[in-house]
Amino acid sequence: MLRNSFQARIAGVLVLLLLVVVGALYVAVQTATNAAVRSQAREQLDVGSLVFQQLLEVRGRQLHDAVQVLAADFGFKDAVASGDTETIRSALINHGARINASAVMMLGLDGNLEVSSDRQISGETAKRLSAQVMQRQREGVQIFLMPIADKIYLLVQATVTAPLPIARVMMGFQVDDAFAAELRELTHLDLTLRATQDGVADIWISTLQPAQSKQLQGSMAELTNDAISLIGEESYLNQTLVLASGDGFEVRALLHKSLSQAQEAFAPLDQKILLIALAALSASLVGALMLARSVSQPVRQLAAVAERVRQGDYQASLDLQRGDELGRLATAFKAMQQGIAERERQLAHNALHDALTGLPNRTLALERLGSAITAGRPTSLLYLGVANFRAVNESLGAEGGDLALQQLSRRLQAVLRPGDSVARIIGDEFLLLLENTNSDSAVGIADKVQQLLLKPLRVATHDFALDCRIGIASYPVDGNAPEELLRRASIAMQDAAGMPSHLQVYQQGRDDAQQRQIRLIRDLRHAPDKAELLLHYQPKLDIAAGQVRQAEALLRWQHPTLGMVSPGEFIPLAERTGSIQLLTAWVIEEVLRQLREWAGRGLRVQVSLNISTDDLIDPQLPARVSKLLAEYQVPAEQLIFEITESGVMLNPEVALQVLHGLRACGISLSVDDFGTGYSSLAQLKRMPVQELKIDQSFIRDLDDASEDSVIVRSTIEMSHSLGLKVVAEGVEFERSLQLLGRWQCDTAQGYLISRPLAAQAFETWMAQYVHAPSTLVH
Amino acid sequence: MNKPLYLSTLSLLGMLLFSTTLSAASLQAELVDSEGQPLANAVLTLRSEVAPVVAPVTAVMDQISQQFAPNVLAVRSGTAVSFPNSDNIRHHVYSFSLAKRFELRLYQGTPSEPVVFDKPGVVVLGCNIHDWMVGYVYVTDDPWFAVSDAQGKLNLEQLPAGTYTASLWHPQAPDMLPQDAGQVQLTEAGSLQRFTLSMQAPGGQTAPSAPVSAFGDAFKKARDAAQ
Repeated sequence: MLRNSFQARIAGVLVLLLLVVVGALYVAVQTATNAAVRSQAREQLDVGSLVFQQLLEVRGRQLHDAVQVLAADFGFKDAVASGDTETIRSALINHGARINASAVMMLGLDGNLEVSSDRQISGETAKRLSAQVMQRQREGVQIFLMPIADKIYLLVQATVTAPLPIARVMMGFQVDDAFAAELRELTHLDLTLRATQDGVADIWISTLQPAQSKQLQGSMAELTNDAISLIGEESYLNQTLVLASGDGFEVRALLHKSLSQAQEAFAPLDQKILLIALAALSASLVGALMLARSVSQPVRQLAAVAERVRQGDYQASLDLQRGDELGRLATAFKAMQQGIAERERQLAHNALHDALTGLPNRTLALERLGSAITAGRPTSLLYLGVANFRAVNESLGAEGGDLALQQLSRRLQAVLRPGDSVARIIGDEFLLLLENTNSDSAVGIADKVQQLLLKPLRVATHDFALDCRIGIASYPVDGNAPEELLRRASIAMQDAAGMPSHLQVYQQGRDDAQQRQIRLIRDLRHAPDKAELLLHYQPKLDIAAGQVRQAEALLRWQHPTLGMVSPGEFIPLAERTGSIQLLTAWVIEEVLRQLREWAGRGLRVQVSLNISTDDLIDPQLPARVSKLLAEYQVPAEQLIFEITESGVMLNPEVALQVLHGLRACGISLSVDDFGTGYSSLAQLKRMPVQELKIDQSFIRDLDDASEDSVIVRSTIEMSHSLGLKVVAEGVEFERSLQLLGRWQCDTAQGYLISRPLAAQAFETWMAQYVHAPSTLVH
Repeated sequence: MNKPLYLSTLSLLGMLLFSTTLSAASLQAELVDSEGQPLANAVLTLRSEVAPVVAPVTAVMDQISQQFAPNVLAVRSGTAVSFPNSDNIRHHVYSFSLAKRFELRLYQGTPSEPVVFDKPGVVVLGCNIHDWMVGYVYVTDDPWFAVSDAQGKLNLEQLPAGTYTASLWHPQAPDMLPQDAGQVQLTEAGSLQRFTLSMQAPGGQTAPSAPVSAFGDAFKKARDAAQ
């Protein structure tokens, strides 16, 4: 393609240019030669006509002299003077023969033809002759041409004096082919003579070929001076001369110069030009091809190298030892090749390495793991996470965190044995790949790593002890796929958080639990819309009155495939993934709907429900709840929102504002799970709560002597002294209830009274309870 | 040069003396051409009713310095003219004129026999070896005649008074023919008469020395046309 287009184009242009030049040259030479031939012919014609004139005049003069001598001959005069016609004629013939005259005539002084050597001269010719003689006499011309009968004569006249003129003698010399041939000899011109006379056929004398002469006779009139005419096969330049003309006759001479002959002389020149043109053409063709090749070959080479670069081969050699533009291009190309290779290496490195620490990244780690698996080498993964990295980051700033990570990575690298590698997976998570190491050995190494990391890091002026957790997964025991192994190591690391050693080997099945969690998190968001959620109500017993007027609404999730999911499983997930507000909103509305429904059937219950930490920091919550209360026409007093102390602690300012807002609506507030967190009485005092819920862990095994009883009793007393009611949950035994009653706990909740019930079942339960409350309370 | 004329006049005078003893007249004539220029070598002849008897006379046509002398000689019919050669070269005198054909082959001195001009007319003389030599012998039957001199003048004396018929001739007269000059009245007192001759247009006679052809013009024309 390149060859076709580029080489052909260069060659084409050169050849075309050359053709134009040669063509122009040829035309110029042709024009010049034609002009030269023509002007030469013109010149030859001029010279020829001069020669012709001279020839005629010289011949005429010679004849005239001869005739003059003859006319002066005394005997001749005597004969002429004799007056006897026959004598005179014989004398004329005799004397004419002396000088080879073809015709001799005697004319009177008045011009009348008196005697002629030729008896055949007709009256017409004689008259014409007389007229000519007289006219020529007047003009002083003694030599002239005239056709007589079928011949052209050069006529010369002389006066016969005795001693006064007594007669004119006229001698005619025939102008014939020999004369024309002589002229041709002298001038190399062809001559045609034509004489016309009235009543007589034209006389033609010509040196041309008979056929040409014949053609010429037909087209004489078309010949013009200085024009090229084709006579026969040849072209001629002609010169017409009217040698004589008179009444009823004319003698015309035509000089022809053959241009064809003259041009023949230039034929070798044409041939040479053609030869030179052909030689130049082929030479330029070869030159053009070579030139094009010298350009296109390197270009092809460059293209080939470019193609290899495209395929990712940057080692292709490009050997162009040239000083020209192409050479510079090749140099630039080489530099580009190296540049691309360098950048690609950089890119590849960046793609597989972590910019901060320079360690392999997740991709490379997985790749190496894959290689190990392919090779069948037992490999252990140590998944390392820094539990307190967030704290480090917060106190040192992101930059300090980065420095800490860099130090950490250096320490990890120091631990490595040959063949092992460390990678940074993400953030504060690192992975150590230990080849030819089984799970047990890995634990040893993990321990060593932990020991090493116990030593505080020094970042700027601060010393930090990193709290590292390590999860271990091993090939082939814990999986066959790199991703799977990595995930399981990661799970183990998360599990390690709960281990005192902060070290955990992957437990079989943990991965499934994780998978279930992921699925729950994903599906939870859609659960409210898909009507998979429902509320169970657990009755709360007013211990003093022995009545049940309250219940706690507990959220249940009926998953379409996993079945009933316990709140203990999905609530933390919802809290962790930010879905909890969705659930709370649904719960509030559902509780209100249910209360409205029950109210319609005459059932009036105060229902408590759990408000998450996230809900507490939503300033819009009181307004939303208030709107819903109005919508369902449920008295606010029927609602208790259970909050956790820690929830308030997260953002006390907003939380307190929200709590006051709710309280202003008339909603009662209860502190849930009291005693499990860092409960602060001061905090409790600031919160607008009416009730305190003692965590079931204190209640379940409640008896007189336990420490729990002390806590429970003092909590109840303290709450009462703060004006708060106390709810004990997790009441399962009769004895616990009796103790609580003795300690004047206000409300009890637990399996002893009833397990949480579906709305329908709760309604039924309540109906039965109203009829037989004594079965529960002593 | 005037000698022959003188001789002739003397003889004429003698003749007149014998015939008219008492009354003698003379004529002084001036000859001019139509343009009034004096004509030399012009011949005036007179004749009358009364023709005197005249004895035959002789005349001389000399050749001096390769010219005939005189150029024009007038003689009466029957006059014998001798052709002495005064040059030291030979001459070949001839005439093809109808009035007298003769030929005196190359000679020197005076030929033995004079030539008798017995018929009136013009005899043109030439020399075969000297083409330029032309002479005229005017042969007349009239008794009185004279040839004009270089001033175109001539005198006729000792003529009987009376009426004459005059004729004029000159070599350049048209067709070389004598011209009638009318009647002339002569008295003893003598008279002065002016005669006018019509002449042939000059030129046309003279042959150019070099031959001329008509071709030059034709070639020149062709050359001019070519340029």
